[in-house]
Amino acid sequence: MSVSEVVASEDVEMLSDEHAVQEEEELDRDKIRLLPEAASEDGTCASFQISDEDHTLGNALRYIIMKNPEVEFCGYSIPHPSETVLNLRIQTYGKMTAVEALHKGLKDLMDLCDVVEDKFTQRIREL
Amino acid sequence: MSEEGPQVKIREATKDNVDFILSNVDLSLANSLRRIMIAEIPTLAIDSVEIETNTSVLADEFISHRLGLIPLQSKDIDQLVYCRDCYCEDHCDRCSVVLTLQAVGESESTTNVYAKDLQIVSDLGGKNIGHPIIQDKEANGILVCKLRKGQELRLKCVAKKGISKEHAKWSPAAAIEFEYDPWNKLKHTDYWFEQDATSEWPHSKNCEFEDPLNDDDVFDYSAKPNIFYINVESVGSITSDQVVIRGIKTLQDKVADILFSLKKMDQDKVAFGGPTSENAPMEVDHDPYSGTNGQYNEYNDNTNTAYDDAW
Repeated sequence: MSVSEVVASEDVEMLSDEHAVQEEEELDRDKIRLLPEAASEDGTCASFQISDEDHTLGNALRYIIMKNPEVEFCGYSIPHPSETVLNLRIQTYGKMTAVEALHKGLKDLMDLCDVVEDKFTQRIREL
Repeated sequence: MSEEGPQVKIREATKDNVDFILSNVDLSLANSLRRIMIAEIPTLAIDSVEIETNTSVLADEFISHRLGLIPLQSKDIDQLVYCRDCYCEDHCDRCSVVLTLQAVGESESTTNVYAKDLQIVSDLGGKNIGHPIIQDKEANGILVCKLRKGQELRLKCVAKKGISKEHAKWSPAAAIEFEYDPWNKLKHTDYWFEQDATSEWPHSKNCEFEDPLNDDDVFDYSAKPNIFYINVESVGSITSDQVVIRGIKTLQDKVADILFSLKKMDQDKVAFGGPTSENAPMEVDHDPYSGTNGQYNEYNDNTNTAYDDAW
């Protein structure tokens, strides 16, 4: 009887552990995902899926990635209006991978925001 | 003073209005900023109401709705967490501000219940947050409801942090003017007209900041909008200049969030040897063969399972 009790309690523990892992994955899978079927072998072309984003980020990011001379193509789409996901496609000329181009794009957008913010606060202070 | 990069010129700035010209940026960025200011800056607003007594002529849900729309001071909203992220069971001082409203119609004439009658009962811990915004001369604030003699209103409100993507009551901006190309040189708009568009349509106030189109000018099909006339009107929960600054910050937070996940995604891939990383495949392809059989199998199994995880 005591043995069965132990087994039962272990089962419960395992179940709860499994549950915790699933929940963690749920959180992990979130923000950005590389779409494997759309990536090329050498990594110069790739598509990403970003969740919980829309045109607010998509269009600005598309523009800034396209500004990079190493990037041949960048486009985004919101496949369905009821799903809050954004697909981003990047193709480079080959000197840099799509992931690197996206990385650079995000950093550039960050820097651009910094400049606009600095300019704005500077002008507000001048008043 | 012509500099490279984005430029800002402020035409007017008051507590609840900031009018500025943003130039040398792309339409996409200016539009992102506009969209963020409308929908994604966190503020505080009443989100749930417990009604103890309501003998007024207005229905409970009607009053609750009105209370939700009252702008509340949100200066230190950064120090408040979202209720859904808080570890408390329902709401606590870390994630909410509780306000009570108690009013009885005592005089023979109508008694007005104003936003000023809302009393903060939770411990703010020094945060400048939750005070109803009062801007009228009489310092009453928004009229919530009117009571006849003997009618009573007693309720408890829980104000929570939120963004106006979820509900417009959380919007820090009452209105955002956004204009570019006031002379319509880029032909992004097509004016409706009876006889002649130029004589029937009034000029924008921003027209004086740009040269009009000459008759002999040819249409420049490669021209891009470059100057944006933006006017941000705040509802009072956050000052107008803060709306702009927090808008930019919120956009940066979004970018930082993705940058973080991208780094994590990339790290997972490098560690497990995905195909899109430049350095990793080399090691994965050649190393395992030179190792012992056991090691190779172990590595391979590891790669396969982890590979799925990484995607």
